[in-house]
Amino acid sequence: MLLAAEAAKEAPFLGVFSKGMFSQFVLLLIFLGIVWFLVTRARAGMKIPEIRKINGLEALDEAIGRATEMGRPVHFTPGLGGMNNQQQQCFAAFGFLSYVAKLCAKYDTRLIQTNADYVILAINEEIVKQAYLEAGRPDAYNPDDIQFMSDQQFAYASNVMNMFQKEKPAANIMIGAFWAESLLFAETASFVGAIQIAGTAQQSQLPFFITACDYTLIGEEIYAASAYLSKEPVMYGSLVGQDWAKIFIFALIIAGTVIANLGVKTNWLTTILKM
Amino acid sequence: MRKELPMIVTILSALSLIFSQYFFSGKQLGLTDVLDKWYVISVSFAILLGVINLTRVHVNHIRRRREGWWNSIALLICMYGYSALAIQQTVDGPQAVWIYNNVITPGDSTMFALIAFFIASAAYRAFRVRTKEATVLLIAAVLVLLGRAPIGDAFVKGWGSGFWRFPSWGEAADWVMNVPNTGGFRAIIIGAAIGAFAVAFRILLGLERAHLGGTGAK
Repeated sequence: MLLAAEAAKEAPFLGVFSKGMFSQFVLLLIFLGIVWFLVTRARAGMKIPEIRKINGLEALDEAIGRATEMGRPVHFTPGLGGMNNQQQQCFAAFGFLSYVAKLCAKYDTRLIQTNADYVILAINEEIVKQAYLEAGRPDAYNPDDIQFMSDQQFAYASNVMNMFQKEKPAANIMIGAFWAESLLFAETASFVGAIQIAGTAQQSQLPFFITACDYTLIGEEIYAASAYLSKEPVMYGSLVGQDWAKIFIFALIIAGTVIANLGVKTNWLTTILKM
Repeated sequence: MRKELPMIVTILSALSLIFSQYFFSGKQLGLTDVLDKWYVISVSFAILLGVINLTRVHVNHIRRRREGWWNSIALLICMYGYSALAIQQTVDGPQAVWIYNNVITPGDSTMFALIAFFIASAAYRAFRVRTKEATVLLIAAVLVLLGRAPIGDAFVKGWGSGFWRFPSWGEAADWVMNVPNTGGFRAIIIGAAIGAFAVAFRILLGLERAHLGGTGAK
């Protein structure tokens, strides 16, 4: 209601847009256009550029295969993020979980999935259940292995560390938003000899994952998961679109840097982007 | 309809937020506030899911006498006991506050303090010079570690000025943190933001369905 009251005081830009939102809306349309173009091309069976290999994603099969051979479980955590906090990373984690759950179901490997958010718990339960169903092994689904532990950061961390010591998972997959608990998880899993694949867009936690884990997905790589793992051309198209959008943004940054360094008094690029 | 209905709700919510964010009339309607309130209400109900899951898992532990089953009894007593206490005297009541301050807070601090030891063990493994990347990591770590301590500047004092300035150890450490480190982090942030946008767009188009259960692909 406060926002609505504030908005009433402002005059709309071009009679339609909120203040400062016109340029953002145009950028949104440009990104949508790029992704749409590539998705349409892929859908039509036309050639789209190749995407680079992401080692962390390729290693998922290896990690689950190793757990299967050793007869030990796989652990998956989406971190502390929830639907009101770093939700985009949670959505990235859902893509991973469905793939991991399907592989675990296929190989008859136990999957332990721990949660710190009850909304995410409900979604993850559904994802795992569906993955077991799609793999043709609904009987192997154990609801007790999808656990809510605590929404308190260190209570959750201690619970997961205890689980590592007790269950000794052979693979530990951590994808999502992590804070100080990241190293507690990674080091404890390392002590029990688990192969570790981690991924986050939290730049403060990346150094911990890089030092402690076998494979680390950095920032945007986690968002590529479901598209990359699906191996579907349409999804690949959206990934290429993501890369093109990034090139566009970097071109804008370079243009802005050049203009700023030329000593131009009125930077037209800044003026346009503030519209 | 099991997948279609949630997808329709997702798409409508996303379009409402886009309309509310970018368009003047959308902002005036205050749709974001309304959706936020709906979210808070639905999450309040979802807390029950967590309680039910914890109860089911730990009752099964006790019933099947799994290893450490007595811990499950302690957990259930604490969870339901504290809930009853908080309902009886609210979370700001004297006993509820005392338990929180004297049990939860020291426990949290203990866990947080453990990180220091884990950092040491992780750093030991990471800094063993086995690959080119580990060597770069080791050099940067030594540079920054000593640069942040007085001993660094005692080893190498800077001299000269302006363009011809030879940096002190501390200045070199600052340069590592402010230039390559900050540059790298910003690149990661930009990439992650675009990646998040691409995921949002895939959800909006109905291409990404992992959150509805299944493989995530259409």
